[in-house]
Amino acid sequence: MIYEAVKMALDDAQMEPKDVDAILIGNMDHFEGINFSEMWCGIDAAPGYLKPVVKIATGGTTGSSLGICGYYNIASGFYKNILVVGWEKLNEGGATTGIITAFDPVWERPSLAGALGPLALMANIYAVKYGISSEQAAKVTVKNRRNAANNPFAHVQMPNITIDDVMNSQMISYPLRLHDCCPQSEGACALIYANEEETKKITDNPAWFKGVSTAHYYTFGCDDLMFDLPTAAIASKKIYKKLGIKDPVKDLDVAEIYEPTSWSELSWTESLGFCGRGEGGKLLDEGITQMSGELPVNPSGGVLSSNPIGATALVRFAEAAIQIMGRGGKRQIPDVETAMGMGFGGSLWTELAILGKDPKPLR
Amino acid sequence: MGKKEKEFQIKWKTDLPYRYSIGKLAVKYFEELKNKKITGSKCPKCGKKYMPPRAVCADCFVEMTVEDMIELSPRGTLEGFTVVNYPFVDPNTGGMRPFPYGYGIFKLDGADTYMMHFVDETDHTKFKIGQRVEAVFKEKTEGDIYDIPYFRLIKEEE
Repeated sequence: MIYEAVKMALDDAQMEPKDVDAILIGNMDHFEGINFSEMWCGIDAAPGYLKPVVKIATGGTTGSSLGICGYYNIASGFYKNILVVGWEKLNEGGATTGIITAFDPVWERPSLAGALGPLALMANIYAVKYGISSEQAAKVTVKNRRNAANNPFAHVQMPNITIDDVMNSQMISYPLRLHDCCPQSEGACALIYANEEETKKITDNPAWFKGVSTAHYYTFGCDDLMFDLPTAAIASKKIYKKLGIKDPVKDLDVAEIYEPTSWSELSWTESLGFCGRGEGGKLLDEGITQMSGELPVNPSGGVLSSNPIGATALVRFAEAAIQIMGRGGKRQIPDVETAMGMGFGGSLWTELAILGKDPKPLR
Repeated sequence: MGKKEKEFQIKWKTDLPYRYSIGKLAVKYFEELKNKKITGSKCPKCGKKYMPPRAVCADCFVEMTVEDMIELSPRGTLEGFTVVNYPFVDPNTGGMRPFPYGYGIFKLDGADTYMMHFVDETDHTKFKIGQRVEAVFKEKTEGDIYDIPYFRLIKEEE
């Protein structure tokens, strides 16, 4: 699986392993009941033989941490190119069990129900505070899973899913029903980063990193009432300021956000400043986040359609790059100049990257 | 191809025993828990009251010691709830976590942080955000996180 992704990336760039300076890999291996996977996965398939290899594991943000560190490595001038690979094989372990082991053994593990328990609490608080209905959340799943039908790499293929299908699916953790939740997926994602000089040798149609932003918060997920993901507001304000973005809906052309549940997309499009508080549903109903809207959100089908954890947030950056390069096939948004990718994970952390068609700064 | 390949599996079970060092504040917490008291720690600089107690205030980067520990009320206010209704292996026991179970986030009176724990209610229509909750102690406490097996929803007339 790792080999398949790496081979596709190298072939596309007309590169061979010998042309790669260094490798960054990412995987939340203990979610699969293993650890130190870099020892046996990082060398042959990655391909790290005789090369500098660094593994990054930051929970759900693993992919975005990888993506951001790839940018740091190139922007610092240390390497001329770098291969970045994230993966997960969740079929090999119970993700909920693995996720619980990532938390404090004494204080958090005993009652924690993996990621979905806290995500259900967040959805519940959000729904009550703003009077949002389950039907409103179901519309997110319908949008994203229908988008996924245009993405041959998406895991869950439900092109004809309806609001009723979502609302009649099994209750997983009130108010989350089965189809409000992301799947457990297997997948790998590989990206090649290069400096300006090296890029000319690879492609005449690259996507450029404009800026990145990271926000971490307290130790425990309940050290504050984080139902609206405060780190998304902090990280997005930082990156918009840095790049001179006044109105993300106008200034961005597409966003790939990390929505582990349908409710998360409603709430976090608000935290990312795409609309006011409590207006995530209105944003969707007005068609703004649809494929044909002013700011399409998750044309790939998003995390609701595929969640191979160590790859998931890197996929968000990759999909942003694909949109800029105009290589999205049936999921392509016309004329994308600027795209944002988001990672979410850890103790409710957010990581963002904004990519553009033009190598010059946004302003 | 076309025919589904037969799945080949090797199954085994492994015990992975660990011992965790919980630190002086947590030791004190569990000693007090045995006396049916809930404690937290108060930052000597900003005064923020943490539950559970911890050794460093994230806001101030200041150390807290056992002397900075304070008693908190066993009662608090419910901020959010769910009923967990899916099966998974509990890594703390190695067995399946019994479900469904009520699960809430609440703020104990006197604390500045929130906590998440079991609630003895599995009908989501019985919960109300803003309602009062109370820690229920085991009759015979052992200085263990399960000394409070769950919180209960306090009825309005109480």
